[in-house]
Amino acid sequence: MSDILTALRTELRGIFADRQVRLIILAALVIYALIYPFPYRAELLRDVPVVLVDLDRSTSSAELARRVTASEAVTLRHDAPDMITATRLVQERRAYGVLVIPEGFERALLRGAQSPVALYADASYFLMYQRVMQGAAIPLRQMGAEVEMGRLIVQGTAPDVSLAQVSPVAQIEVPLFNPAAGYATYVLPAAFVLILQQTMLMGLALVASRRGSGSGHPVWRVLGRMGAWVMLYAALLPLYLIILPALYGLPNLGSPGAVLMLGLPFVLATGLLAQCVAALFRRGEVVQVVLLAVGLPFFFLSGFAWPVEAIPAHLNWIAQIIPSTAAIDGLVRVSQMGATLPEIGHRLWHLWGLVVAFAVVALWLEVKARPAGNADHHSA
Amino acid sequence: MLREFRMILRRPALLGLVVVLPVVMLLTLAGIFRAGIPTGMAVTVVDLDRSDLSRSITRMLDAAPEITVREQALSLSDARAQIVTGHVRGAVYLPQGLERDILRGARPEIVIFYDNQHMSAGSMVARGARGAIDTAVAGLRLSIRQGQGEASVQAMVSIQPIPLQAHALFNPAFDYVHFLLAALVPTVLQIIAAAATAYAISLDFGPGRHPQVLARMADGVLPAMLGKILPYTVIVLLILGLSDIALYGWLGVPLRGSLLLMATGAVLFVLSTQLIGAAAFVLTRDMGRAASIIAVITAPAFGFMGLGFPREAMSQLAQAWGAVIPGTWYVQLRIDQSLRDTPLDISVWSVVWLGCIVLALGALVLLRLVRLRREIEAKT
Repeated sequence: MSDILTALRTELRGIFADRQVRLIILAALVIYALIYPFPYRAELLRDVPVVLVDLDRSTSSAELARRVTASEAVTLRHDAPDMITATRLVQERRAYGVLVIPEGFERALLRGAQSPVALYADASYFLMYQRVMQGAAIPLRQMGAEVEMGRLIVQGTAPDVSLAQVSPVAQIEVPLFNPAAGYATYVLPAAFVLILQQTMLMGLALVASRRGSGSGHPVWRVLGRMGAWVMLYAALLPLYLIILPALYGLPNLGSPGAVLMLGLPFVLATGLLAQCVAALFRRGEVVQVVLLAVGLPFFFLSGFAWPVEAIPAHLNWIAQIIPSTAAIDGLVRVSQMGATLPEIGHRLWHLWGLVVAFAVVALWLEVKARPAGNADHHSA
Repeated sequence: MLREFRMILRRPALLGLVVVLPVVMLLTLAGIFRAGIPTGMAVTVVDLDRSDLSRSITRMLDAAPEITVREQALSLSDARAQIVTGHVRGAVYLPQGLERDILRGARPEIVIFYDNQHMSAGSMVARGARGAIDTAVAGLRLSIRQGQGEASVQAMVSIQPIPLQAHALFNPAFDYVHFLLAALVPTVLQIIAAAATAYAISLDFGPGRHPQVLARMADGVLPAMLGKILPYTVIVLLILGLSDIALYGWLGVPLRGSLLLMATGAVLFVLSTQLIGAAAFVLTRDMGRAASIIAVITAPAFGFMGLGFPREAMSQLAQAWGAVIPGTWYVQLRIDQSLRDTPLDISVWSVVWLGCIVLALGALVLLRLVRLRREIEAKT
C-alpha cells in the first residue's frame, strides 16, 4: 500500500514540479479553451452573399429576387450583367453563389410553360454551398407552388383541393439534436475531448520520459500513478467537459454522473497510453512533436466529423485503439444527445478494454525497463 | 548544408520526424478521405401505415445513395433510442392512414428526423431522405394529374412551374477529397515542419550545447541560418510534392490554375512554417517552451483556415489571427489554383502575403541571432 502512495506522490510531484509539464497540462487548458473555439463563435451563417444575374428584368424576376433576399440564409447582394462578372465576384470571395434568371422568365410563366432558374453555388466551401442551396431553393419552391395553385384555381379548382394537389403531403424535417445547426455546438464538444486527450498524453508522457527509477513492485508503481492521474483529472475533466461547454453556452442534456463514468476509463486509458508512447519514443521533445502532428488525424479518425461509414474498415480498426475514438462518441452522445449509460454501454466497455490492454503493455514496459527491487538510477 | 543532411541520416529521431512521421500522417489522411463522398448512412423507418404507398416510399429511401434503410422501428421513441445509441443516423416517420389521407386530400405529414449533432452525417441523411420523398411525392402528383386526363408531358410541366437547375461551382463532382485533403496535407505539414525545424536547431543551439557554435558563425549569421533551415525546406517540399502528385495525379483532384504560382506559394509556405519553428526556438532557447508556442500557433490553425466554418463569417479578430498563420494563405492558394481556377491577379495576393510573413519572421529570427551572438562574444 505504501508503495502505491509513494508512486502516487512521485507522479504528482513529476507533474507539478516540472514547469514544462505544468505548462502543457494546466496552461494549455486556458490557452486552447480560448483559441480553439475562437473561429466558431459566430455559430451560424446568415445572409450569405449571392450574385443576381437577372436577364429578364421583369416584375416576376424582381419578385423572385425579393423572396430569395428575404430568406434568412442568403442575400442577393450584388447585381451582375453576365455570368463572367458574377463568377469573378465568387472567385474574389465576395459572394458564394450566382442566381441566374434567364431571359423570358416571366413570359414562360404567363404562358403556362416551365420557367427554369439556374443556381450556381460555391462547392469549394460546403457550409456555404448548403446555405446557398437552402436559401434559394425554399423561396423558389414556394413561388412555384403558388404559381401552380394559381393556375389550378383559374381552371376552377377549389383552393383547398388545389393545395392538396400541389403538395399532397406536408414534408417536415426535424433535426433531433443541435436544432439550430450551430457550428460551435457541432465541433466543440468533440474537440474538447480531443484536446483533453492530447494535452494529457503529452504531459504524462513527458513525466514518464523524465522520471527516474521508482521503488516497489511494478504493479504498485503503475497503480500509484493511475491514482495520481485520477486525482488530477477528477478536477480537470469536469472543467473541460462540463464547465467549459457551459461557459460557451453549448446545450447539455447529459447527467454529470454519466460523463464521469465514461471519463474514468478514458483518463486511465489515456494515461496508460502515455506510458507506452513515452517508452516508444524515449525523448520528450520527439513525443511532443509526434503528438502535435497526430491531433488532427485522430480527430478525423474518431468518426465524429467525418462519418465512420466513409472510413475504410482497416483504418477504423486502428482508430479503435485510440481512446478518443470511443470517448468522443460516448461523451458527445451523453452530453449533447442525452444518452444514458446503458445506451452507450458498448463505448464504456470499449474504454475499459483499452485500460486493461494498455495496463498490460505498461506493466511489461515497467518490468522490462526497471525490474522490481532493483533501484538503480536510470536517467531518461 | 551537407553537414545537416549527414546529421539527419545519423539521428534516427530527426529522420523519423522529418520523413517517416509526415509520410505516415499523409497516408493516413489519404486513407480516411479516399472514399470521397460518404454514402449509405443507416436510417430507420417508422411505418405506421403499412400500405402500398408507405412501402414504396421505404423502397425509394433505400434506393437513395446517401442512405440505407437499416431497420424498421416500431415507434418514434424506439427510433429515437436507435439514433441516440448511434445505431442509425436518422428516422423517417410515415403516419397511420398516410395513403388514405393523401387520396382524401387531407395533406398528412411525413417527418424526417436526423441527428444534427453529427452534422456531416445528419445533413447527408436529411438530403437523401428529402430527395427520395420528393421523388415519391412528385410521382404521386403526376399520377393524380394523369388520372385527371392530363398528358404526361403537360403534367410534368404543371407540377413544376419554376424548376431549379442547381450547379456546384468549382467542384462539380462534389467530392470532399478535393478540398479536405488539399487543406489537411498542408495543415499537418505545417505542424511537422515548424516542430522539426525547432528540434533540429535545438540540437545545435540548445542551452549547454556548444554555445560557441554561434560565435563560430564569423562568416555571418545568415548563411549559418540558411544552412540549418534549407535542408529541411528541401525535404518538406519533396514530401509535399510527392503528396501532390498523389493528390492531383492518383486521386484525380483537378489542377486548373498556374503551377508556377502554386510552386512559389509552396516554397514560401514551407519557409514560413520553418521560420515559425526557428523563431519559437531562438526566442525561448528551450525546446519545451518552443514546442508549446508552435502548438498554440499550428495546432488550432485548421479552424482558422475557414474550410469548415468560413473565414468571412468569423469575427474580425479571428480573421486577423488566421491571417498571421501561413497555412491559411497557402490553403487558400491551393484551393484557388486547383479547384476555383481563380485569375492570377486575385490569387497572387495569397503569395504576396506568404512572402510578407517569411520576411517578417526571417527578420525576427536574424535580429535575435545577431543579438545572441553579441551576448556570447561579450562574455568570452
